Amino acid sequence: MALSKDELKAKILNKAMTAAKPQLYVKDFYECDPESGPRDIKNAANDLVKDGKMVFWSSGSTTMYAAVGRAKDEEHR
Amino acid sequence: MPKHDTPMMDELEKGPWPSFVTDLKRQAVKNDQCWDILGQMELSFRDKMTHWKHGGIVGVFGYGGGIVGRYSDVPEQFPGVAHFHTVRLNQPSSKFYNTEMLRKVCDLWERRGSGMTNMHGSTGDLVLLGTRTDQLEPLFYELTHDLNWDLGGSGSNLRTPACCLGKARCEFACIDTQAVCHGLTMKYQDEIHRPAFPYKFKFKFSGCPNDCVAAIARSDFSLIGTWRDNIRINQAEVKKYVAGEYKNNAGGISESFGKFNIKKDVINLCPTRCMWMEGEELKIDDAECTRCMHCINAMPRALRPGLVKGASVMCGAKAPILDGAQMGTMIVPFVKVDPDTEFEEVVFYIEKIWDWWMEVGRNRERVGETMQRVGLPTFLKVMEIEPIPQHVKRPRENPYVFWAEEEVEGGWQRNVQEFRAKHKM
Repeated sequence: MALSKDELKAKILNKAMTAAKPQLYVKDFYECDPESGPRDIKNAANDLVKDGKMVFWSSGSTTMYAAVGRAKDEEHR
Repeated sequence: MPKHDTPMMDELEKGPWPSFVTDLKRQAVKNDQCWDILGQMELSFRDKMTHWKHGGIVGVFGYGGGIVGRYSDVPEQFPGVAHFHTVRLNQPSSKFYNTEMLRKVCDLWERRGSGMTNMHGSTGDLVLLGTRTDQLEPLFYELTHDLNWDLGGSGSNLRTPACCLGKARCEFACIDTQAVCHGLTMKYQDEIHRPAFPYKFKFKFSGCPNDCVAAIARSDFSLIGTWRDNIRINQAEVKKYVAGEYKNNAGGISESFGKFNIKKDVINLCPTRCMWMEGEELKIDDAECTRCMHCINAMPRALRPGLVKGASVMCGAKAPILDGAQMGTMIVPFVKVDPDTEFEEVVFYIEKIWDWWMEVGRNRERVGETMQRVGLPTFLKVMEIEPIPQHVKRPRENPYVFWAEEEVEGGWQRNVQEFRAKHKM
């Protein structure tokens, strides 16, 4: 059975905070719950951005997700 | 007064063509930042490498696209372009603006950014070039609240849909491109503003196979207007063309091409050889017509698209990022494009493609690359589309026929005794 939205968000955030790579593609979160569909994962990741716990990092052509404070921030380098 | 010496940039003002360097110098009178753009570009020319750093976490709250971060790696020398973010605006369908809106957006951009624009980016957006991070939220507020204008797509989002002029200006349009472009832009707001996909995904809508927005070459999902019945022929007008009453190409080409010659200029150029003359009458074998549009373009008074109109669905075009440029593959030859059903048939294929690609596509893999990786037969199976001859690019190169078990009567199981009764060891 697929995880609830809150459980899914917790798993995604945990992965974003502990993964070796600081920035992750949305597909990298699919493994957080193989039972959830890609849209559910995307919606949960987007909710975390809305909640201020994750940020988008965009190269312009691709967008990745990162836990707050982990993303490469050109502005403060 | 110029802030930097820019001898190499100045070279780009010479010659008969308009120069962006001249534009930048003119804009620099109002906005000092523009001198720093010229200065940094001069440095990049000298060093033969860019001094821009692309990407970042900049954006506006709630949106995962529409802003592309850009920074100078030499901000001490060029403080005016230390931040130089790009803002993409969702252009109106067919890029029909009124001057009032253009003035308003330009005034806003002179206050909140460099004043430089790009009309338009290759995806179609109205691009505002260069602003600072602290200006993004106020700019976005004014854009959305005062100008009723929204950001377009960037990153791994659905990119801003784009369409040709369609029925507004063009007699050949078989579908209302503006209606479908606007309708799907509104339907897929979440996909435009929040990243959902392994990589970018583009829609483009062309009203006829002339494909004035080059949908077949540039968009992951292209909808190109077509007709299902026969090309309409006005034989009286054909006679007038043959008699030379109309100038070749409506006088748009040099006299040296000579008078209009239906055999040379139309029939012999038909790629599927489906046209011929019988006496004074032009005949077309419509079943063989490949919708190249040449005959209709050459004789618009005599030939017109048919009356049963809809669109073909192409999938998988892209510019040369990884494997080289790729044209779209025709997937569905004819769908109805009906605003009354909220483009039900089109939406069905879009979402089927997305559901599959979100699951199977690799990171930074365009849907055309995923299709290439799995092969068209697999893709058609996923789409639940029966293969048709038009899906075949050219006769098979591979002499082996591979059958799936379900395609063979009795599957792979057989009675060995029964076989051996007829075939001794």
